[in-house]
Amino acid sequence: MILTIAVHTFREVIRKKILHVLIGLGILIIAVSPFIPTTDEPDARIKMMLVVFFQVVVLLCIVGVIILSATSLPHEIEDRTIYGVLSKPVSRLKIVVGKISGFALVSALLLIILGLVNVVAIQRIASRLPEGYRSILKAGNEFTASQFSIQGKSHHVRQGIVWIEGGRAGIALWSFSDLYKKLDNKSSFEVEFNLKIDSSRKDIDAIPLVVRIEDANVDRWETSVLSAKIDEPLTVKIDPAIVGKSGAVNVTVFPIHSTDYIGVTQGDAKLFAVQKGFVYNYAKAIGITFLKFLLIISIAVMGSTYLSAPVSIVSALVVFLCGHVLDFVKDFSLVIQRYDVHEHTLPAVLKKPNILLVYIDYLIKKPLEWFSVILPDFKRFDSLKFLLKGINIPLETVGVSVGYTALYAGICLCIASIIFKKREFF
Amino acid sequence: MDNSAVRTEGLTKVYKDFWRRKSVSALTNLNLNIDRGEIFGLLGPNGSGKTTTVKLLLGLLFPTSGKSWLLGYPAVDLNVKSKIGFLPEESYLYKFLNAEEILDFYGKLFDIPKIERKSRIDKLIHDVGLNPYRKRPLSQYSKGMLRRIGLAQAIINDPELVILDEPTSGLDPIASREIKDLILDFKSQGKTVILCSHLLADVQNICDRIAILNKGVLQVMGNVRELLSQKDVIEFVVKNLSDNDIQAVETFIKSRSGNVLSINHPVSTLEELFLTIIQQSK
Repeated sequence: MILTIAVHTFREVIRKKILHVLIGLGILIIAVSPFIPTTDEPDARIKMMLVVFFQVVVLLCIVGVIILSATSLPHEIEDRTIYGVLSKPVSRLKIVVGKISGFALVSALLLIILGLVNVVAIQRIASRLPEGYRSILKAGNEFTASQFSIQGKSHHVRQGIVWIEGGRAGIALWSFSDLYKKLDNKSSFEVEFNLKIDSSRKDIDAIPLVVRIEDANVDRWETSVLSAKIDEPLTVKIDPAIVGKSGAVNVTVFPIHSTDYIGVTQGDAKLFAVQKGFVYNYAKAIGITFLKFLLIISIAVMGSTYLSAPVSIVSALVVFLCGHVLDFVKDFSLVIQRYDVHEHTLPAVLKKPNILLVYIDYLIKKPLEWFSVILPDFKRFDSLKFLLKGINIPLETVGVSVGYTALYAGICLCIASIIFKKREFF
Repeated sequence: MDNSAVRTEGLTKVYKDFWRRKSVSALTNLNLNIDRGEIFGLLGPNGSGKTTTVKLLLGLLFPTSGKSWLLGYPAVDLNVKSKIGFLPEESYLYKFLNAEEILDFYGKLFDIPKIERKSRIDKLIHDVGLNPYRKRPLSQYSKGMLRRIGLAQAIINDPELVILDEPTSGLDPIASREIKDLILDFKSQGKTVILCSHLLADVQNICDRIAILNKGVLQVMGNVRELLSQKDVIEFVVKNLSDNDIQAVETFIKSRSGNVLSINHPVSTLEELFLTIIQQSK
């Protein structure tokens, strides 16, 4: 019964040529994306294609699917075709589930077709790149440090961030172990630092750091001096020979000059083991995006059980937008909180955050905390960041996304079912 | 076993406004009892409560008070809907489908097995005269064709109870006659039919019993013949009688204190004349 309604819904979208239009527009945007001006980096075009697909094409499809799923039931109620279904032995819950399933089918078809077109286009463009620049087409595993410590003394600790003064006063040490547990010997490694940096020197936007990487069990190491810029991650490639059979690596960092400072936490150094497997990773990203579609479809159909078509579209779009804006506002709040932490060497008068910003933060923070409990957080489904960094999407992330969608869609379905059961058709 | 096909007890529907205040009393204390196998006419002017009654029986509306049973089961029971066929007053059908597809869709909702579904679809499309147009989208159908396919979907499940709301609206006299024959055929198969119609002649011809509603209140219910018969008036239908004989009969009646109201040549109905002419022209 559910399948019958799902197929019927799917067929309606096909017959009305809406799917054709979405696919046509999507392919057009994908075809144009390699020609959008970017930086001179060799893999910039591929990154642009990924960004355009996951942020423009997917957005277009989501808006299309929202409009379809938010208007389907209201239109059937308005033109009374729903009478024909309601007078048959079909429960109203099955009608709602059938509708959601039908639009899920539409979404799956959209994502499969457009996703395939995009990945084929990416592979073709990547095949023209020199071998050394194809790292974007790899998927690396991310490792966080199993141990973190400070050798020597720290300058001070503030809000969980340990600040180290340069000139060997203190050294930050991260230890990574069990690197080969899930990997093969062909993997290559790199460490990415997201350090907070500061200096008492004026007009400094980068400071020199000493980075030492050593095999934890054998006396083998490499040391390099690198320039770390403010708010930019620092990446260091690791010689595969350093990562011995034990699969354990120690990474130490300290600023060269005593006038410079670095602020570190355990999570600020991450080790990536790069492997091939872009298509598999891409497929996982598409899968997570599909969950995003499923969630917004459930919300749109839930609204449509009670609201008219236009109101239903607007409310689903508002929920979708809020699900993204929430994250932005949370970041805004975080920036204000960190204001007096990061700039610890500034004059005392500037340590206090702007009172207006704090007031705005106070005003919006509490309501948004409540909103964030009720509204879905669509940023959870952001898989683009993994693809752009060439990080393998952990199965845990996929699992959490599935669970989140199941929970949220389940709640929406229950509410939709209760509303629709009580609805009368005049 | 409950022998009634439809039974209502004090069925009442009051429409309320946005503030839940009483707005319109669409149906008041309706007590109906429709026997199995009969053709029952539900009559009344616009806004009399006919459609509200049908919607209450089908669960499209919920009663403010009162109860209803269909084929012995509470009307709210989902399973009983598998034994009911419904033709709404307008053909509310999915226009992007063709005749075959729409019947297949509704057949699937009744969970009819594939092979049986296919044979029923073929037969119904043939019976309602849409065989040449079975692959044409319903968006290209005329009003009459939509009515026919609407009727076909109403009986795709071979129902025990058929509820027809204005089944002949939009149909030409030939199609209208075919539908009426089909309804009589339902009766011969033992099905119960509820017929809502404004066309009183149709109702008179084919219904066993009728109920007349006005402003949501049941005005009268009973056998059509009994309700229409004028017990103090007698009608003779005689063939081949000369004017003199007619005069003699009239004189005889007057001598017996009878009051002759009219002496006429009977006329056939316009429908019969139309059908005869069309038949002859073929």
